[in-house]
Amino acid sequence: MSTDRTPKYRQEIQQMMFVSGETAEPSVETTTLIEEIVRQQVVEILARSTALATRRGVRSISTDDLIFLIRHDKAKVSRLKTFLSWKDVRKNVKDSDDKGGADAADFAAADDPIAGGVVAGPQDVASKPKNKRARVGLAWDVNSFYSVQVPEREDEEDEEEEEQNYATLQRLAAADERTKHMTKEEYVFWSECRQASFTYRKSKRFREWAGFGIVTESKPNDDIVDILGFLTFEIVQTLTEEALKVKEREDREKNRRGGADNGEDSKKRKRETGLFDPPEEGRTPVEPKHIREAYRKLQATPNKNIAMLLHNGRVPARMPLRLI
Amino acid sequence: MSLGHHHAWLPPGHLRPPDDLHDARSANGYSRSFSGARTPQLRASADADGLHAGTLISDADLATDDDPRIAMFRDLYKRSEAQINTLFANQKSAEEAARSAVPDAEEPQTKGQRAEESAPPPAPAKKPARKLDDDDYDDYDDDDEDDDDDDEPASPPKPKSFGTSHNASGLPSPSRPSSGSISVVIEAHKEPKKETLEEIRKKLEEDKKATEEAAKRSFHTLFYTLENDRDAMLDQQRLEESERQVEAEMSGQANAGNSSNPNVNGYGSLSSANLGASSLTLKNLIARIDMKRTMVQASDAELRSLMSEVRKNRSKWASEDKIGQEELYEAAEKVLSELKAMTEHSSAFLTRVNKRDAPDYHTIIKHPMDLGTMTKKLKALQYKSKQEFVDDLYLIWSNCFKYNTNPEHFLRKHALYMKKETEKLVPLIPEIVIRDRAEVEAEERRLQLAEMDGADESDDEPIMSSRGRKAPGKSSKKGAAPVRNTPSGSEPPAAQASQPPAPVRSDSDTVMDGTQNGFATPPPGGTQTPSDPAGVGAGVQGSQGDAMEIDGLLPSSSNTLTALPASGVESEDPEYKVWKQVTKKDRAVIAAERHRLFKGDKLNPDEPALLRTKAGMRRWLRNQTQINAEGDKARESTAQGLDPGAAGETLAEGIEVDEDRVIPDYYDVMSGVPDLPPHLSWKEDSDGNIVDASEEFLRVLPSGSFTQPDSKLSRKMDANMRQMQETRKVCSKIGIVKQMQLQSQMYQNQFQKYQPEPFVEHDVPAHVMNDGGPVISPWVCKAALQRSVAKVFYHTGFEEYQPSALDAVTDIASDFFQKIGETLKSYMETPKLPATDTPEPNTAPQWKRAYTEPEMVLHTLSSVGVDVESLESYIKDDVERLGTKLSTAHDRLRSLLSELLRPALADGGEDGSNAFQDGSEQFIGGDFAEDIDEDFFGFKELGLDREFGLATLSVPLHLLQNRMYNAAQAQNTSAAQAVTLFPPPPAYPRITSETLSSQIGLVQGFLGAKLKTNNNEPLVEDLELPPKQRPTASRPRLPASGKIQPPSAPSGVTTSPQKRPLPPSASSQQPASKLGLSEPSKKKVKKNSGAGIGASDSLAEGDETILSADGAKASATTDAKPNIADERSVDASDPSGKGDMDAGPDGIGMEGTDHAVPLTNGTAAGDAS
Repeated sequence: MSTDRTPKYRQEIQQMMFVSGETAEPSVETTTLIEEIVRQQVVEILARSTALATRRGVRSISTDDLIFLIRHDKAKVSRLKTFLSWKDVRKNVKDSDDKGGADAADFAAADDPIAGGVVAGPQDVASKPKNKRARVGLAWDVNSFYSVQVPEREDEEDEEEEEQNYATLQRLAAADERTKHMTKEEYVFWSECRQASFTYRKSKRFREWAGFGIVTESKPNDDIVDILGFLTFEIVQTLTEEALKVKEREDREKNRRGGADNGEDSKKRKRETGLFDPPEEGRTPVEPKHIREAYRKLQATPNKNIAMLLHNGRVPARMPLRLI
Repeated sequence: MSLGHHHAWLPPGHLRPPDDLHDARSANGYSRSFSGARTPQLRASADADGLHAGTLISDADLATDDDPRIAMFRDLYKRSEAQINTLFANQKSAEEAARSAVPDAEEPQTKGQRAEESAPPPAPAKKPARKLDDDDYDDYDDDDEDDDDDDEPASPPKPKSFGTSHNASGLPSPSRPSSGSISVVIEAHKEPKKETLEEIRKKLEEDKKATEEAAKRSFHTLFYTLENDRDAMLDQQRLEESERQVEAEMSGQANAGNSSNPNVNGYGSLSSANLGASSLTLKNLIARIDMKRTMVQASDAELRSLMSEVRKNRSKWASEDKIGQEELYEAAEKVLSELKAMTEHSSAFLTRVNKRDAPDYHTIIKHPMDLGTMTKKLKALQYKSKQEFVDDLYLIWSNCFKYNTNPEHFLRKHALYMKKETEKLVPLIPEIVIRDRAEVEAEERRLQLAEMDGADESDDEPIMSSRGRKAPGKSSKKGAAPVRNTPSGSEPPAAQASQPPAPVRSDSDTVMDGTQNGFATPPPGGTQTPSDPAGVGAGVQGSQGDAMEIDGLLPSSSNTLTALPASGVESEDPEYKVWKQVTKKDRAVIAAERHRLFKGDKLNPDEPALLRTKAGMRRWLRNQTQINAEGDKARESTAQGLDPGAAGETLAEGIEVDEDRVIPDYYDVMSGVPDLPPHLSWKEDSDGNIVDASEEFLRVLPSGSFTQPDSKLSRKMDANMRQMQETRKVCSKIGIVKQMQLQSQMYQNQFQKYQPEPFVEHDVPAHVMNDGGPVISPWVCKAALQRSVAKVFYHTGFEEYQPSALDAVTDIASDFFQKIGETLKSYMETPKLPATDTPEPNTAPQWKRAYTEPEMVLHTLSSVGVDVESLESYIKDDVERLGTKLSTAHDRLRSLLSELLRPALADGGEDGSNAFQDGSEQFIGGDFAEDIDEDFFGFKELGLDREFGLATLSVPLHLLQNRMYNAAQAQNTSAAQAVTLFPPPPAYPRITSETLSSQIGLVQGFLGAKLKTNNNEPLVEDLELPPKQRPTASRPRLPASGKIQPPSAPSGVTTSPQKRPLPPSASSQQPASKLGLSEPSKKKVKKNSGAGIGASDSLAEGDETILSADGAKASATTDAKPNIADERSVDASDPSGKGDMDAGPDGIGMEGTDHAVPLTNGTAAGDAS
C-alpha cells in the first residue's frame, strides 16, 4: 500500500499551509513529507481508537474514542466539540427543512471542517434559533457524573469553552489580519483554501489513503471521518506553524551570521515588513528540513511521560508516537 | 671434707640423679661459677639485704614484688644456717672452718659434700625468689626428696649418707625431729637446680605475658576490625583438624604402649600438665623411706617397682620399658603443640605438602617433613632422642627454605619465624636418649657389681644415675658435659663412666618424672642448647652464656612491643601485629563460636544461643571500673582510691574460672551492658519515690498524621465531594419520580433511600511513640494513601471502585512519590559548592548548598514532568471550576426535580397534601358535591362522617393521593413509624386438630374438613396473610368485556376460601406471599373472558413492537444492532393476537392484577403496530 505512494493531497496540503500562514509555494517534497506525517498520525489515531473501542467491547470506533485520544489538548477538544455541534446543527437543518439550497450551501460552508463554525456560529444561531445546537457530552464530563441527564440551560455561558477557544480566536485574528487587505479575488482564493479538507467529498480517497479496513473497520461512521478531517487539518496547521517558526529562527540566525559578512543584506532582511520589502511571493517556502525539525520538536517526549522511569528505570528505545 | 670429697660427691650427689637435676647441676655449675664470683657479695648480703640483687639475676621483676617473702626466706635461711652451724660445730668443726672460709659456707650440707657445693649456696639465696613465684614447690620438694631418695639408696654406705645434702644433718641423726626446719632448707637448696629450667620456661611465658600485657595496654589506642578473625578461625580449625587427624591415625595404629593413659595433656600450655597432686602424696612417702632407708629391708629394685605400682597418674608417654621416654615425649609434645599453636605462621607447615600444590616438591625435597607428621611420629614413639626430634623440626624449616628459594616468598617469612620460635623452645626439651629398660637395668647391675668393690663415689653413682634421664642426657650432651665437668675437675671421666649404670633405678626415675612433668619440661642447661653458641665454650663462658641467654630473654620480655616485631617476619604495623598474634587464639575461638551459629548463609535455629558468662561479665565490669578510674584520674590529678564496683565484683569472683582472654571488650559482645539513656535510669526523689522519667520521652503520636491536612485545596475538594453527594441525592429523587411515572405498581421497599454520609477521615487510634521519628508502618501508610487516592477518584466522579483498581493506582502513586523523593534527595545531597565570596585563603572555606530549597523543588518537579503552572491549572480547572460546574449541575437537577414534581409538589408540602389549594381539589375531592347534593358519596348515609368525624363530606385528600403520599412517606421514613398507643390484642391461636374441639360446634365440621385438606396442619388466619392475599383484598372488577357477569357465574371472590391452608414454608411469609400473589390472580384471570387475556397479551407484544419500531428507525441511520432490529421487526409483523400463546402465566398475572394501565397501553400498541 505504501510502496507506490504517490502524493494524493498535494493541493489540499498546499491550501492548508497557505491558510496556516505559509505564503510561498511549498515544494512537492515538502507536501509529500507532510502528507506522510499526517498519514502516519491518522493511522496511529485509528489504531489506538480501535484498541480503545475493543477494550470497551465494541467493534466500531465512536467519537468518544477519538476525543479521548486528544483529551489532554483541551483547546483542541473544545474546538472539536464546537465543530461537532455545528455539524449536528447542519444535519438537523438539512433533515428538517430541505427548503432551499442556499441555506444548505450556507451551512455547508459554515460547517466546514476548517471549523469556521465559531465565527459563523453566532449569526447562524441568531438567524435560526430553532436549530439549537446540541452540546456534545463527553463521558468524563461533570454531567455524566450522575445517573440523570443534567438538563441544558440556555442562559448559562460556558466560560471554559471561551478560554479553550483562545487559540482558535488567535488564529482567526491572524487570518483576519491577513485577509484585511486582500483584494476580492485574493479573498475568494483564500476562502477556497479554507475549505480544503482531506475528507470533504473525498471520502473514498481518504479511506484508501488512511488504510481503512486494515487498521480499523472498513466503513466507519460519518462522524468519525469528519472528525478525522478536522484533525488532519489541525495536524497540518500545527506542523506548518511550527515549521514556520523554525524557519524564521533559522533565517534570523542566518541573518545574524550573515550580518558579519555583509551588513547590507542582513539589514534588508531584518526588516521583514518594511515598505520596500519584496512581495510575499518572493519569500522562500518552507523546506522539508523545517518540517522535519518541527516534527521532531512535536515528537519530543515530555518529562512527565518518563517520570516513572526515573532512577534505575530505562527509557525505552522507542516511545509511542505522539499525536499532534 | 676435702676437695676430693667434693669430687667424689659431685657426680653422685645432686648432680647425678635426675636429668634435670643434672641439668640443674650444670646450671649449678655455671651458677656456681658465677655465684663464685658472686659469693662474696652473697655472703655479705647474707647479713645485708643486698644478697638478692645478685641472686635474682633472672627475676629482677619478681624480686621487687616479693620483698616480704624474700625477707621471710632470708630469715629462714639465717636460721637454718645457724642450725647447721651448730650441728656441724659439733661434728666437724674443721670442715666448718673450711666452710666458713669458703663463701659457700652458708650451706653446710653442700659444703660438706662436694666442691661444687659452693654452687648450692647461691641456690638457697635464689630459692626464695624462685619460690615466690612458684606455687608448687611441692615439686621442688619432690625433687629434693627424690634426690635424697637417690642419695639414700646409694648412700647405704655410711659416709655418704652424711654427705648427702643437708639431710646429712638429718640423716646422721635420723631420729632427729628437727628435720622440719631443715626440710625448708633442703627445698631451698634444691630449687636452684630447677631454677634454670623454670627460668627459661618462665622467661618464655613472661615474655609472652608481657607482650600480651603490652598488647592489652595498647588495645585502646587502636581500633581493630574483625577482618582477620576469619583467618584466625580457619587457622585454628586447621590446627585442630590436623590434631584430630593425627589422633585418629594414631589410635588406628593401636599404640598400646603409651595409650595406657588416655589422658591427653592440653597442648596449649606448657604448664597445664600438673601431676603434682599424686606425686605430692608420694613425695612424703619417699622422703620417709629415704630417711629410714637403712631400716628398709628391700632392694632398690623392689622399692622402685613398688613405687611405680603405687604411683598413679602417669603420663601417657610413660613406659616401663623405655627409660626417659616420658620426659622426652612430654617435652617434645609440648614444644610441638606450642609450635603448632602459632597458627599465624604454622598453618603452612601443619600438613604434608600436597603433590597437587607443588608437583615438583618431591623432586627437590627428598625428606619432606611437617608438624603433623612429627606428631604422628611422636605418637608412634619413633623418636629415640631429643636430637632426632629437633632434627626433624629443623628439617621442616630448612625444607621450606630450600624449596622456596625466592627470598621474598611469604612462606620463608613464616619458616623464619617458626625457626626462631623453635630455637627458643628447643632448650626446653631434655637431652634424653631413650633406652630400653632391660638394657639399662643390665648396665645398672653391672655397675652395682662394680660398685661392690668400687669407691664411695662409684657407690654414689648408681644413685645419681638412678635418675635415668640424667645418663642419657649426659651422653647426648656435648657442649654441656665439658662445661659441667670442668668445674668438677677430675670427675668427668668417672662421672661419665658411672652414668650408664645410673639409670638402673628407673622406678625412682619414674617417680621423678611424674613430678617433673608436673611443673615443667626438664629444662636443659642453658648452655647446652644446640643453638646456643655460648654453650660450646668453657665452663665459665658457658655459664655466662647461660646468663646471657637469660638476660637476652629478659630484655625481650620487658620490651614487649619490640619483642615480637623483632621476631616477626612481616612488615606490618608492629602494634597491630602484636595484637593480632596475641589475640589470635581468642579471636579464633570467638569467631568459631559465632560461625557455629550459621548454617550456610542462614542462621541455624537449632544451634544453642551464645550466652554471656559470669567471667565475661566480670571482666567487663572490671574494665568498666578501670575505665572509670582512669577517667577520674584524668579529671582529677589525684587518683581516688575509691572503687565502688570492687565490692560487687567479688561476689562473682571465683565462681567461675576466669579464663584470661586477651581481647578488647568489644569482641565479647555477649558480656556487657549497653549504656542506659539517662531517662531510663532509676531515680528517686527525696521521698524515696521513683521518678518516672518515661513521660518525657514517650509521647502520643500527634493526631492528624494520617489525615488530610487542612488547607484551602482540601476544603475545596471536600466541598466538591459534598456537592456531588447532594446532587446524587437529587438524582435519586428524580429517578424515583420518573420510575413512579412509568411504573404502575410500587412497593414500600422498592426504592432504596439514598442518604450518603459525608466523608470523614478517621485518624489512627492514639499511638504511643518512643522518639521523634515518623511512624513507618507500611500498612497504615498504604491505607492512608489508598484513602487519599480513593478521595481523588471520588472527586473525579467515580462512586465505587474495585479494590484491585484502587490497589493498582495506589501502588503507582506510591511509586511516583518515591521517585519524587529520590529525586529531591539527590538534589539535596549534591556536593556543596565553595562559596565564592571568600577571597582570603586563610579563612576556612565557606560552603553552601548547590541549590536553594525552591530550586530543589522546581528541579524535582521538572524532572518528573510537572511544573507549577500545571499544578496551578489543575487546582483551577479540576478543582475550582469543577466546583462551579458541580453547583450548576446541582441547580439544574434541582430545578428538573421540581419541574417533575410540579403537579404534586408545586406549592405543596412534602406529601403533596397542599397541592390542591388552587381550588382544583374541589373536583377531585368531591367538595363540589356540597353544591350539588349534600351527600354525593353517601358518606352521611353510611354514618362515616360521624364515625370518622369528617368535617366535610368529601374524600380525604390523603386517600386520593395515596401513591404520592406513600412515596413521600418513603422518602422520610420517620413519618412511616406510626406510634402505637395500645398494645395489639393477642393473636388468636391457630386452628389445629387439637384446638378444633374448643370451637363452637357449628364450625367444627367445616374446620375439620379444612384441616383435612391441609393435612392436619394448623390453619392460617386471614389476618396473617399479606394484604394482597387476603380474600377481601380482591375487589370486584369489571371484566374486559365491559359487561358485569351474571351472578350465576361462580365468582372467585365469593368462593375464595376464608381459611387458606398454610403454605409449606409457613415460617417465611415472603415467598408464600409471592406464590399467593400469582396464584389467585391467575385463577381470576382464567375465570375472566379470554378476550381480556388476549388484549393484555397483545399489550405486552405491543410494547415490544414500539421498541422495535424505534430500533428499525435507528437502524436506518446507524448500523448499530441491525440484526436485533430485524428480529424485532419480524416480531412486530406477527399478528398481535398470536402473542397470547407464549405469554407466561406470570406475565398474565402481573397484568391481571391491575387492568387499567395495560388497557390504555394496549390501545397505544395497536396504533403503533
